[in-house]
Amino acid sequence: MTDPGSPSTAPGPRQGSPSDLFGPDSQFHRFFNDPRWALAMVRATVLEAAHPQIGAALIDNSTFVTHPWRRLRNTLVSLQRMFGPDEATRQREAARLNRMHTRFTGTDEQQRPYDAMDPEVRAWVVATLFESSVTMCRLSGQPLDPATMDRLYAEFRGFLAALDGGAGHLPPTLQDFWPYYDRMVNEELEGTEALRIILYRLFDHLPAPPLLGGMPTVWAAGRALAGPAIGTITVASLPEPFRRRAGLPEIPGAQTLMHSAYVAAGLARFLPENLLQTDYLTGLLALSPDSDDPRLTALRARMKRAGALVRLVAPVPAQRTPDEAAEPRRSAAEFFTEVLDQTGDGFVGWPDLAAMAREISSRLDLDEPAETRIYSAFADWWRELQTALDTDGDGRISSAEYAAAVPSLAGPALIRVAEVLFDATDANGDQSIDAAEYRALFRTGFHRSVPAAEARYSRSAFVADFLSFMSGRRRSTAYDPLLTGT
Amino acid sequence: MSAASSRTEPGRPAAAGGQREVPRHVACVMDGNGRWAQSRSLPRTSGHRAAEAPVIDVIEAARTAGVGWLSLYAFSTENWQRPTAEVDFLMHLVRRVVRKHAPLLLARGIRCRFLGVTDPRIPAPLARDFADLMTLTDANRGMTLTVAFDHGGRRDIVEAARSLIRSGVPADAVDERQFAAHLPFPDTPDVDLVIRTSGEQRISNFMLWQVAYAEWVFPPVLWPDFRAPHFLECLRTYRQRDRRFGGVPPHPNGDSPA
Repeated sequence: MTDPGSPSTAPGPRQGSPSDLFGPDSQFHRFFNDPRWALAMVRATVLEAAHPQIGAALIDNSTFVTHPWRRLRNTLVSLQRMFGPDEATRQREAARLNRMHTRFTGTDEQQRPYDAMDPEVRAWVVATLFESSVTMCRLSGQPLDPATMDRLYAEFRGFLAALDGGAGHLPPTLQDFWPYYDRMVNEELEGTEALRIILYRLFDHLPAPPLLGGMPTVWAAGRALAGPAIGTITVASLPEPFRRRAGLPEIPGAQTLMHSAYVAAGLARFLPENLLQTDYLTGLLALSPDSDDPRLTALRARMKRAGALVRLVAPVPAQRTPDEAAEPRRSAAEFFTEVLDQTGDGFVGWPDLAAMAREISSRLDLDEPAETRIYSAFADWWRELQTALDTDGDGRISSAEYAAAVPSLAGPALIRVAEVLFDATDANGDQSIDAAEYRALFRTGFHRSVPAAEARYSRSAFVADFLSFMSGRRRSTAYDPLLTGT
Repeated sequence: MSAASSRTEPGRPAAAGGQREVPRHVACVMDGNGRWAQSRSLPRTSGHRAAEAPVIDVIEAARTAGVGWLSLYAFSTENWQRPTAEVDFLMHLVRRVVRKHAPLLLARGIRCRFLGVTDPRIPAPLARDFADLMTLTDANRGMTLTVAFDHGGRRDIVEAARSLIRSGVPADAVDERQFAAHLPFPDTPDVDLVIRTSGEQRISNFMLWQVAYAEWVFPPVLWPDFRAPHFLECLRTYRQRDRRFGGVPPHPNGDSPA
């Protein structure tokens, strides 16, 4: 396997030093805030998922169906680091991605092995990103000129090189790329389950981003219209030979709809600039509504008014009992689906707990060895859970097994998770968590969740809160967004 | 002066010859719904239902005429003594009206407030809608519409006194201006004109502090029949009265004894 720490050697005829390729002047950065890129990214993800190895890895490990917004934000942050001007940040992010992907190995349903570190697989991921960016420009009627396309290809090859220590699995020139791409589409791709989930389930069930969580009605209404449209647009933009082979539907008018969507998104560049800051927007959506983040404070008055209007114009709902919403505890079944089952497959297994460890590590931006400590603590907890709860010995815990044995959940390994989490969160090591450390982990307002008198969060209080959340199934303003947030 | 001190000359549009154009703050006591229904052999509730149209009409008329503040007396603390069925009906009706007209009020730039609304008997969804409408229109800078709901003028004064005592102001330091600052919505100017429909001539515990210097008109028309022309007629009456006494008091709100 590739050595994650190796410096990026960037071979290939067109590539200079990495700092020439990346940074604010790169072609990639021109696209990053382009609204068409949203469509292109969906398309790229579908093409990735159509690769049997990637599809299997996604099905087994990914939380993108249950926590799509979290996933989207993490991906965008990662891409920005990889394409940013700072070489040290890039190498650090590459190492982090490599550590993360090393953990994704297994076999699919037909017992074929998959490995997220397989260089061919990674080359295909980068290929789909590049090809979707190019296609996005073509589909919206503004094709890239050959020089720009060459440059963009070099940047994406540089991205793969930074990640893998070499870009040997992507053809060296653009001329050779297209035959490679066509061969992959014609021979390698399949109509995988992951692909169908993305096309037909993800957008129909897409949960509201945290910031809009308080307006489920509006969200559901918008999604009912947009969900099928996104699926249709994406299918129509896929290469025709692949559509045929994967048995994807040909819907009358879909091509027109797809072209219109790309053209319309292309026109959105005439909108006010701050509306199109991809990272600003996703960052905002990821915040919980009660965050004290300054961006949100500025937006909150307007949001409040919007929420008030929505409630006033929404049809009067059935009468609810007043104490319904104030219930601080949830049932074992609710806790199982909302917190433990991160991958949403109906079972709790190592991938679910690994997803928690992954989310925490990326929020706290951990390096080695802190990241490994988090993963080990979660792995120990998984062994403890498995021993206690997996009564039928199938290697995973079903909802019924969990419900039958809830009291034994707060074992020593879980306490250890709390301790390790505290150490990782306490970045400056002063044995208490201050507002900045708190916000890094929870992305929510410090003063709202911590008793007003003390301005710091002590180890014992932190551990106690974590345990009461994890074992007492108590709802919590801080942990809920962290582990159940979409 | 009271909270009304803010209502003096500076903010006023120039009124030629000392004549006041339009009252700054108009209040309506919406009386006569029951009698309107009885006269038609209908249940009292249909009278309340018929009260919606004039409310919207008057809001529009006031806004168009340039009235800055409009207050409507919708439900008094004494109205709780009415039969339960009627009270329940009123609660539902008000909720429906509030929700139905919220977008219109927002679009018209009207800032809405609800004066009172403390009784726990008010259904939670209705209180929520009130709060939502206040939030929604809070930034509006057009006319301010104050709906007195579960309102009692004496209660407001007692509350202000309590708040004043709690704030620890020495007794000698209390003056009208300071007292008024403890009333709910202290930025509300004094009422210039009160319109009480149906010919009844009582105050009924309505915004007692703020109506201290108000002109009163008592059109005989019942509230469900009250429309924009009636409202404009009341404004005209107000202007004429003002003209009759015009030029005498430097402070139109009546520092003069007579």
